[in-house]
Amino acid sequence: MPVYDGKELRIVGFLCNWCSYGGADTAGVARFHQATDLRIIRVPCSGRIDPLFILKAFQGGAAGVLVSGCHPRDCHYAEGNYYARRRLELLKRFLPVTGIDPERFEYTWVSASEGPRWQHVVQTFTDRIHKLGPAPLLSEPLTDAEMVEFQRQVEAGRGCGCHI
Amino acid sequence: MRIGVFICHCGSNIAGTVDCAKVADAAKAFPDVVHAEDTMYACSEPGQQGIIDAIHEKNLTGVVVASCTPRMHEPTFRRAVERAGLNKYMFEMANIREHVSWIGKDKELNTNKAIDLVMMAAEKLRHNAPLMAKKFDINKRVLIIGGGVAGIQAALDCAEGGLEVVLVEKTTSIGGKMAKLDKTFPTVDCSCCILGPKMVDVAQHPNITLYAHAEVEEVNGYIGNFEIRIKQKTTYVDWEKCTGCGLCMEKCPSKKSYDHFNNGVGTTTAINIPFPQAIPKKAKIDAEYCRMFTKGKCGVCAKVCPTGAISFEMTDTEVTENVGAIVAATGYDLFDHAKYPEYGAGKYPDVITSIQYERLMSASGPTSGHIKRPSDGKEPKNVVFIQCVGSRDKSVNRPYCSGFCCMYTAKQAILTKDHIPDSRSFVFYMDIRSPGKDYDEFVRRSIEQYDTQYIRGRVSLIYPQGDKMIVRGADTLAGAQVEVEADLVVLAVGAESAAGAPQLAEKLRISYDSYGFYMESHPKLKPVETNTAGVFLAGACQGPKDIPSSVGQGSAAAAKVLSLFSKDQLESDPQIALVNASRCIGCYKCVETCPFGAVKEEQDRFNNPKARVIETICQGCGVCTVTCPQSAIQLQHFTDNQILAEVKALCPSMMVKN
Amino acid sequence: MKGLEELKDKIHEILPDLDLVIGWEQGYDGLHATPLFIKTPEDVDRLIIGPLCVHNLATYLPGLKDKKVGVIVKGCDSRAVIELLQEKLINKDNVVILGLTCDGVINLTKLGRKIGSLGAVDDVKVEGEKLNVVIGDQQHNIAFSEVKQDKCENCIYPNALVFDHFIGEPVDRVENVGAEHQSLSDFEGKSFDQRFAFWKHEMSRCIRCHACRNACPMCVCRDHCVAMTRNPHWLSQENNVAENWMFQMIHVMHLTGRCVECGECERACPMDIPLMLLRRQMNRGVREVFDYEAGIDAQNRPPLLTFKVEEDNISEREW
Repeated sequence: MPVYDGKELRIVGFLCNWCSYGGADTAGVARFHQATDLRIIRVPCSGRIDPLFILKAFQGGAAGVLVSGCHPRDCHYAEGNYYARRRLELLKRFLPVTGIDPERFEYTWVSASEGPRWQHVVQTFTDRIHKLGPAPLLSEPLTDAEMVEFQRQVEAGRGCGCHI
Repeated sequence: MRIGVFICHCGSNIAGTVDCAKVADAAKAFPDVVHAEDTMYACSEPGQQGIIDAIHEKNLTGVVVASCTPRMHEPTFRRAVERAGLNKYMFEMANIREHVSWIGKDKELNTNKAIDLVMMAAEKLRHNAPLMAKKFDINKRVLIIGGGVAGIQAALDCAEGGLEVVLVEKTTSIGGKMAKLDKTFPTVDCSCCILGPKMVDVAQHPNITLYAHAEVEEVNGYIGNFEIRIKQKTTYVDWEKCTGCGLCMEKCPSKKSYDHFNNGVGTTTAINIPFPQAIPKKAKIDAEYCRMFTKGKCGVCAKVCPTGAISFEMTDTEVTENVGAIVAATGYDLFDHAKYPEYGAGKYPDVITSIQYERLMSASGPTSGHIKRPSDGKEPKNVVFIQCVGSRDKSVNRPYCSGFCCMYTAKQAILTKDHIPDSRSFVFYMDIRSPGKDYDEFVRRSIEQYDTQYIRGRVSLIYPQGDKMIVRGADTLAGAQVEVEADLVVLAVGAESAAGAPQLAEKLRISYDSYGFYMESHPKLKPVETNTAGVFLAGACQGPKDIPSSVGQGSAAAAKVLSLFSKDQLESDPQIALVNASRCIGCYKCVETCPFGAVKEEQDRFNNPKARVIETICQGCGVCTVTCPQSAIQLQHFTDNQILAEVKALCPSMMVKN
Repeated sequence: MKGLEELKDKIHEILPDLDLVIGWEQGYDGLHATPLFIKTPEDVDRLIIGPLCVHNLATYLPGLKDKKVGVIVKGCDSRAVIELLQEKLINKDNVVILGLTCDGVINLTKLGRKIGSLGAVDDVKVEGEKLNVVIGDQQHNIAFSEVKQDKCENCIYPNALVFDHFIGEPVDRVENVGAEHQSLSDFEGKSFDQRFAFWKHEMSRCIRCHACRNACPMCVCRDHCVAMTRNPHWLSQENNVAENWMFQMIHVMHLTGRCVECGECERACPMDIPLMLLRRQMNRGVREVFDYEAGIDAQNRPPLLTFKVEEDNISEREW
């Protein structure tokens, strides 16, 4: 499903199940209004988040990536977020060399009780990404006309569907 | 794979701001989706039956339900697909209520977002694999932390249910706050008379092991098999020998020790038994005040003790207990009113807290139940009560209502009249909160039968004038400033989380809110569970609670433990890490990072080093999966492929020009 | 590099107890050295050391884990040995390290730019700070400093940091301490968009030959590299900018806190893609946050395999 032109930008969130996903639920239950751009991927622990998932999202054109886990010392798995903190901090410091504005990536800690804080994080981050605009793309997508032509060739048996 | 997608309206909760039919329509175009429909209430009986029927009719091999948060109903739907004959892990949820319909108003954007979330779930599902749970034995013993009324109730109920109970209490006696109260609302029955027998039951119950003056040091393990290290703090008195005769208290020359039990009203001896009904009734030396420790000589208690129980060389010891479940019942503490300079910040002797007033009224208290004000011991005639001290006040970071202060203030006003018939009581209040059985009637009685004068307004200043305290405040109903000459001012201090609550939460791996109160698993449906399996909550550690609620929660937590232990074996969660031995190069980085020591170094039959996960120890965090550069160790149900599928669904590699 | 004869004597002495010793020998022309696997005393005669000996021989160690191996290392190479020891990827009991002191090795790309073609070089000699390149009857005299590897420009570890036998006398070189490589600060002069466009261009040149990975002493996954499998499916086999970029990201991320900046990836790259820029940036972060360098002390714990409850240089990000 394409991102809504002009209205939304693609923002991917990776949230730990126990704290931040719960915090996002708490914000929802309380009807704390938020921007719609963010799509949340639920993982058990921030320690499960491979920095490569974040780079994969950027590779696929994400305009922003937000990671959130339990506050340090409150990890459901005791130590997962400590490992996450190290990995994510290094990723943030690495990004500038790739030309991806490090502001497009953020990590934070939100507990399951912090609905208002989650709303604040989402709103702040979404506003920031909208200021930065769409992400630079690694590849130029085919134009609509080229897509139609490609489709025609596939149907005529000349193209190869496995590229899709 | 044959995927069925079900889009729940949740009445108007979702359908109000999401076009559910459109989402279902869009889902029909997703890879492997062979069936998609919208449904009114997916979780209802007909809703679940609809899913089961569709699985049978369309030969579905996987199901996506888009509805509320998986933290709510994932278990419900997993059971439903299991009833239809599928493995319950061949199921995914898209959260289009808490994360979509409830937080956005634009129907078009919401619908678009819901379609994305369903696509993510379907893409993940395409990489799901059936998982099988394993069974493991459970240790049917329970640890209860905190010996207040909630902990006592939980301990007694568990013990009566046949469980072995380990009860750990921080102070030297169980009883908690309730033991300090004179009377309880709304019945005005004697607190200690109703609690005392329960305390004795705890002491005498063959199934209960009590560690008083002890603290939980470390918690290891998992549901069914926790290992608890308990620190038995030193008392300098051998409790095996101490009979609680109290002779040492009579002879102790250091009589100016801070009296913790009486909250500083009066003093006690350096060696003391906190109160006559204490359980266990054993003496403890307060080293801060004991002359043997401060001056290096004395030893009177050691001389007089008939059993020779005193030992100045005694040190902290440690015990280890193995249990299968834990109940946290650590209670609350009272707000420190020193944060309010307008109330004297604690420097006026005749401005006291409600709990100190309880001790003044208690027959076992320092004044033997005669209300005497601290400054000169005179009987007060005008008593002013100020409510919401450290409650409902953002300026001191206590925006919440402590719940029980309105009620105990009404009780204290009534008791004041009982003790001193010619006295007058004034109550400054913000609102009266009395939602409980017979609660509002009780407040009315205080006003109507006991002539308590309620003044709606905040107090701006308390200052001394002669031997009186002048209480200046607003009467917002009369629209006037009022000043009351008081002989004694009682501050209705609010509840705050117990000191050390966050530290204990970290040991238990449970969550707590920004005030230090423990988080229940669900605010309505799982009030005594936590998000850590096998750890339950009872009483005011979860939030301010009065006695009936605390007792109710104590019983509820006990019921949860008993039902957990009704089985001999538990099913382990199969969402744990698994090593693909053919990809593992034996670098053992996973062994180093696993927080639980669940990964072991092993050799395969060609002596190649390989990692192996011990299934019962792994908790499923996935730290190892990120550590492994070959992606050889994969957290089941959250594999690289599954998460990548979600990322790719959101951020697809495009058709590109080469 | 000095002490060839001393080195040869030492190898003769230790060879009977070992399965092999890894060094360098002259390659197919006067310009290229190539790794030499010494198994017999006769092989020792072919050994060379000098500015052509660019290869980090530590790369071979994990693959020879069960053998008794001697390995000749320069200062930079020795860091790779240490990092492998830190990660317990090699067994110290099975390795004999012959440490050298080094005053830089040649970057063939730079040399090629100076002399035009690298096709028919007969001989290369170092004479002080001068490099004498012989092509037929032509002689090129080039300042050695102009054709050194980038890593040699601000090298602070000219001597092997770990060794069982040190050959020659260690040299003192402290003038570079703390200096960050110029290439990184130059690159930072560009805007984010320019940097992104730069990599887009470079990745369009990448042919995914995996030479950078194969030369890397830290890429120990070998046949189990995630870039080569469909389970998990991190990368498709498609050769396009986005997938090439992702491949390089995987390589950098898997080197986090482990890269010893030996520069083998960049040297091995047939397309001359400046991969070290990425590594230097990552290592800068590791230095700043953890005050840590990989491959300095075999007792150090790699930063991603441990944590501190209170991190010294990470803010709690209250926003």
